[in-house]
Amino acid sequence: MADPAAEPAAEPAAEPAAAGAFARLIGLVIFGLAAIAGAVLLAAASAVDPQVEMAPIQGDLLGFWRVLYATEAPSVRVAVAAVALAAMLASGVAIVELRITNRSRRSVDARADPLAPKLVMARTVDIFAGPVTVTVLIPAHDEEVSLPQTVASLVGQTHPPERIIVVADNCTDSTVEVARRAGVEVVESVGNVHKKAGALNQVLRRLLPSQGDNDIVMIVDADTRLDDGFLEAAVARFSADRALMAIGGLFYGEDGAGVLGQFQRNEYSRYSRDIRRRRGRVFVLTGTASMFRPGALRAVAQSRGSAIPGTPGDVYDTAALTEDNELTMALKSLGALMISPSPCTVVTEVMPTWRALWNQRLRWQRGALENLGAYGLRPKTFRYWAQQLGIGYGVIALGGYVALIVLTVLSVSSWVWFPFWMGLGVLFALERVVTVWAGGWRARLLAAALLPELVFASFLDVVYLTGVVDILFGRRAGWKHVSRPPTAEAPDDDTVTAVSLG
Amino acid sequence: MMTAAAVLPTGVLLPESILHADSFKVLATFVALNTLMYATLAVLKVLPKGYAFSWFNGRNRRAQNRSIYPEPPSSEG
Repeated sequence: MADPAAEPAAEPAAEPAAAGAFARLIGLVIFGLAAIAGAVLLAAASAVDPQVEMAPIQGDLLGFWRVLYATEAPSVRVAVAAVALAAMLASGVAIVELRITNRSRRSVDARADPLAPKLVMARTVDIFAGPVTVTVLIPAHDEEVSLPQTVASLVGQTHPPERIIVVADNCTDSTVEVARRAGVEVVESVGNVHKKAGALNQVLRRLLPSQGDNDIVMIVDADTRLDDGFLEAAVARFSADRALMAIGGLFYGEDGAGVLGQFQRNEYSRYSRDIRRRRGRVFVLTGTASMFRPGALRAVAQSRGSAIPGTPGDVYDTAALTEDNELTMALKSLGALMISPSPCTVVTEVMPTWRALWNQRLRWQRGALENLGAYGLRPKTFRYWAQQLGIGYGVIALGGYVALIVLTVLSVSSWVWFPFWMGLGVLFALERVVTVWAGGWRARLLAAALLPELVFASFLDVVYLTGVVDILFGRRAGWKHVSRPPTAEAPDDDTVTAVSLG
Repeated sequence: MMTAAAVLPTGVLLPESILHADSFKVLATFVALNTLMYATLAVLKVLPKGYAFSWFNGRNRRAQNRSIYPEPPSSEG
């Protein structure tokens, strides 16, 4: 998923142009709300009696073993209150989201939800638009190394696509020749300065008018490989439900990149597990591999500038840093039905270096926040607000935890047992391991160690804070293209990935 | 692994008295509350998810055939 049109590092990339005051403040608003929640809990903590005690006392274990330990557990009443609050928040968010989703799925309001299933059904009743066909667009910017594998994974599907079009955007390598050799169509972008989104817009503008209702458009990133059976499962879904507007792939990280790669693979495993547990209800139609009914994309292009942000006529909003996340919000806003079926999996690239990961995640984080700023608070964006608030609060909670540990460690000079914290540590380790179980023994081992993933979480927290500050000060953001000489052993050491965790 | 000092030692870098300060206890309580909340979320993540509502809620069944084929050989009803 290399950036199909990354600019040279020296050249300024896209400014978050549409930035009104709210858009600029969005990061601060969300982090501020999380901070208020933190302050409320801190106030509650100061009112709690008895308070949690970290100071060690000396005791005997089994009558003879003298140990230092801290009686740090909160009282049962306080503990129960904390557990109840968390359970209420989690179920509250889930219930509200489900209600909003169901209301959207049952909507008959043609103005608010033009893509709602009932309306689509009514429009297409007794009209047979032909069997489902798949046209794949592969946006590619200098992708000569990974493109052949991507094309091979498409051609080798049990249900291969009818058309494959490589959208070559400002390529300086042999992407075009490689694509032609692979026997697929090639379209080169013309005068495009809006990177991947701009290149896709150019092609979609020409392609969409001629596509029938069942002529599905699929966008696949050039360094993503579809697992076999993806298209067969997706075509079956689109055939069985003419109201289904989009299918998003579930992505897994490919091998390589050592522990750093494993962190990302674990993250992706957990994300896919979450989606399965949501029974395929989509967070983000991933840029790595997603399929759309042409009518849905046409409706998005028509609604831009009115019901949803962006330039009228554009499918992708070229102002968005994470265009896949933005398109998901656009489709949701128009009432579209979308799913991520469990057989629709893809293998995608992991970032090979911390620097590349930093750039990727900063772009994702900024993109997610800026998209919220553009859409504002509306029912369809509720889940994304909740998610960003959760991330913001996580920063505060983890910061408090680290501060407590550091202060405690620096204030004691001998080993002290903390039964309360250690007990919870076991619980967290269990959760970490169970949620990456499908990822194999490497994933489980890393998860069981607990501390490394805590460090990784801290890294992501710093990215989050940097994103908030960057948006506030209107710093430039954009794609950073990290090209590396291709090697046979490390096909993953290629370019910055562009999927979105949402 | 553990020592059993007769007298509670001073800290490595900070005086041990910090641990007895009220503000430190507030921080410890705050972190304990957070940790319990996240532990609850962790338990919810581990537990198998039930979909009890959809077993009983007939509204989730599709009321009509939604296939792209107007008259499919087998109707989903």
